[in-house]
Amino acid sequence: MSAPLLQTRNVTRCYGMRKGLLGRSVEVRAVDGVSLTVERGRTLGLVGESGSGKSTTGRLALGLEKPDAGDVLFKGAAMPGTDSLAWRQMRARMQMIYQDPLGALDRRLQIVEQVREPFDVHGLGQPKEREALAFALLQSVGLRADQGRRYPHELSGGQRQRAVIARALATKPDLLVCDEPVSALDVSIQAQVINLLVDIQQELGLGLLFISHDLKVIRQVSHRVAVMYLGRIVEEGEADLLLSNPAHPYTEALVSAAPVPGRRTRPRIVLQGDPPNPAARPSGCAFHPRCHAARERCKVESPLLKPMPDGRLAACHVAHDQANFLKAAS
Amino acid sequence: MLRFFFLRLGRAALTVALVVTFAFVVLRLSGDPALIIMSVDAPPEAIAAFRKAWGLDDPIWLQYLRYFSAIGQGELGQSMRDGRPALELVAERIPATLALTLPALALKLGIGIPAGIYASLHRDSLIDRIVMVTAVAGFTVPSFVLGLVLVLIFSVQLGWLPSGGQESWRHAILPVLTLGIGGAAVLARFTRSAMLEVLGQSYIRTASAKGVPWPAVVRGHALPNAAVPTVTIVGFMVGSLIAGAVVVESVFSWPGVGRLLVVSVANRDLAIVQCILLLVAITMVSANLIVDLLYGVLDPRLRSGAKAGAH
Amino acid sequence: MADITAAGSATATVDKVAPQPKNRIPLLVWFGLIWIGFILIVALTADWITPYRFTAYDLRNRLSPPGHVLHWLGTDELGRDVLSRLIVSIRISLLVAFGATVISAVFGTVMGFLAAHFRGWVEQFVLMLADFQAAMPFLILALSVLAFFGNALPLFIGLMGLYGWERYARISRGLAISAGAQGYAGAVRQIGASPARVYLRHILPNIASTLIVSMTLTFPEVILLESGLSFLGLGVQPPMTSLGNMVGYGREYLTRAPWIMLAPACTIVLTTLAVSLVGDWLRDRLDPTLR
Repeated sequence: MSAPLLQTRNVTRCYGMRKGLLGRSVEVRAVDGVSLTVERGRTLGLVGESGSGKSTTGRLALGLEKPDAGDVLFKGAAMPGTDSLAWRQMRARMQMIYQDPLGALDRRLQIVEQVREPFDVHGLGQPKEREALAFALLQSVGLRADQGRRYPHELSGGQRQRAVIARALATKPDLLVCDEPVSALDVSIQAQVINLLVDIQQELGLGLLFISHDLKVIRQVSHRVAVMYLGRIVEEGEADLLLSNPAHPYTEALVSAAPVPGRRTRPRIVLQGDPPNPAARPSGCAFHPRCHAARERCKVESPLLKPMPDGRLAACHVAHDQANFLKAAS
Repeated sequence: MLRFFFLRLGRAALTVALVVTFAFVVLRLSGDPALIIMSVDAPPEAIAAFRKAWGLDDPIWLQYLRYFSAIGQGELGQSMRDGRPALELVAERIPATLALTLPALALKLGIGIPAGIYASLHRDSLIDRIVMVTAVAGFTVPSFVLGLVLVLIFSVQLGWLPSGGQESWRHAILPVLTLGIGGAAVLARFTRSAMLEVLGQSYIRTASAKGVPWPAVVRGHALPNAAVPTVTIVGFMVGSLIAGAVVVESVFSWPGVGRLLVVSVANRDLAIVQCILLLVAITMVSANLIVDLLYGVLDPRLRSGAKAGAH
Repeated sequence: MADITAAGSATATVDKVAPQPKNRIPLLVWFGLIWIGFILIVALTADWITPYRFTAYDLRNRLSPPGHVLHWLGTDELGRDVLSRLIVSIRISLLVAFGATVISAVFGTVMGFLAAHFRGWVEQFVLMLADFQAAMPFLILALSVLAFFGNALPLFIGLMGLYGWERYARISRGLAISAGAQGYAGAVRQIGASPARVYLRHILPNIASTLIVSMTLTFPEVILLESGLSFLGLGVQPPMTSLGNMVGYGREYLTRAPWIMLAPACTIVLTTLAVSLVGDWLRDRLDPTLR
């Protein structure tokens, strides 16, 4: 098997943040040693609260930002420097879907002009054919030709997101990073856009990095799921396993909070305490102040992301202890 | 607070250094200083001696450093016309300029700020309308036109006041009025809009809704908050005490720094121009520094250094 | 003069008219538009509508007051027709002000884009220059440059073109950064578009209206600056004539022939007034955030 489509290895991204009167600059690790892999034709769901660093991870994966440490490999090759010529050409292979489609579209240009732009930028097709190609793309995401002649503000949110998807697909990329692609949309529209993404993936064999705070959406699209908390992956594994039987207390809390059809099988866990603030990272396990299972050890020793017996990865002292206990018992 | 102070001090020093660099660059770009400063028909030996004395054959960065250190030691060269030190010539003009700009500043502050506050508290009243119309005029009527019109009315037609010169205090009336009226109008408009902005804030509504008497709301909440933007423009006015009267001094033949600058520019008396340029830079920068520090006192939020620059 | 630089655009007559229905153009703005149109036509057709050459002497009719059959606006000391000189002056002053405004807008926008694109020390450098420019009275800087270089017309226009560039730089930098961080510009960059494409095809059209409003607000200040320098005899040089130049010349005859000075003075005032009224109105209509 060749190298995976996308691999991040221990990527770290820090931002400077000034604090207090005498203002010593404090370094905030938005992303702290994250390793992820996206395979062809598969979807990796990345879930976490706001401020957990999941969007930054997405931007790092696309090379839109340069990691302060670690590296990003695309098909086994290192990401070229941001904004270099090689980097720009590489955009044809990887694309992004944004949370706010209206913001991602130029409000002074017709939809079709924007969808044909990748052809112009990467010199694909004959100049005369490009508009027809753009209309074909629009049709493939369910937009009519007359809608293509409109301006972004004249379309609904779902239609705009379809236009953004059409533009992203123009170069037939291998990787699509979707950063909260449906959170700005109505619930009824969300399903349509998600189905569209899933269909496209099956048709084109795309690798998808799907970022969302919404576990319900993640569940619908993901093959694998990674859970992020304060810049680190706390649990990663096959979607079914992880979502049906979470090992990390944080995942457990997220899963219990998400609505599931049918009867609730587990008690709902309500997270205590403040939402994470990356500037004031707690000692030990960053989650311990809000964790219902936290012990003394969690306050001092930061858990490593290690494989569990069932193959998933988890960074939790309690989960590993339990697994070891069960193994010893059997 | 200390860090804030040093940050601003550094910024001020940087601006002065930029002005010195500006003067140096302009001086070098304008041609061979030897030929500009010496007359064209000077003997070649004299020019060679000059070049040597000023180090004009040295590499440019060395000249730049030397220029910097000369200015740092207060060596601003001599006037081409009578050979006296430029600084001395400029310094003896300063009192005359201040005799115009200080009363004008008092006029601007004394009329502009109260009028602006009054206008903001009585919107659409007669005073408000007068303030607004005068402010528009103060912006669109250039000072030389205003000055000449005043001369036309008060000197030529009515014969009440002298039209130029510096013999008595009566000679200062028209130039001070010319400087003051426009500035007062601009300041009034500025104060008014700063006040209106503040009066529209929710904390003002909260304060008056919870029963604080209106005068106390204005004194305790509106005025201090409106002071922040107003201080900037006042700072600019203070900073232009030295050089804010270039045009007006010319209109009224007033022998101040501005008049000296115009004459020196016409005569290409570079040492004097350079000296005035630096003097203005130092005044402006000091005024800005004071304004920045006042900001820190008036608005504690700005102290954290989150806001870069005074804009 | 220095006050003018600080005050920025200081007209607010339009504030009061704001509550009117949106599509009605206020009376004062009509006046402004009509005057601007008039003055533009005068400037463009100057060669055909001047009754005399602006340098032509009429020695029999020296210092004749306005209303003279041959010279509607009177003549000056040398018997030159004030109307003809006024028309030519309008053309020169508008040319200088327009050229300078365009130069300043282009230069400032480019600087702002450079700052937004490269960030880091380039941005710091641009911001430092902008701070410097805003902190120094432009009149003094301009006078120093004129002292060193003398004043040819192209150089003079170029020098005026440095006036106010920092405003465009701040605006274009701010808007480009916000467009790049999350918005359309970031999305286009992510498609693989070159910086030239991002800035020229996408960002520039999007911020053009803001820049144009800003130009309209700066234009009157440039006219005032030009006429001030020319008044001092350091701007446009004889035999060429400009509005400020005429006022400076007319000042010598203030007692005997005030019309020489009043005609160009009124033109300056009306033009700056008209442009600022229209500028304020445009700002309120197109871009209320610009203040």
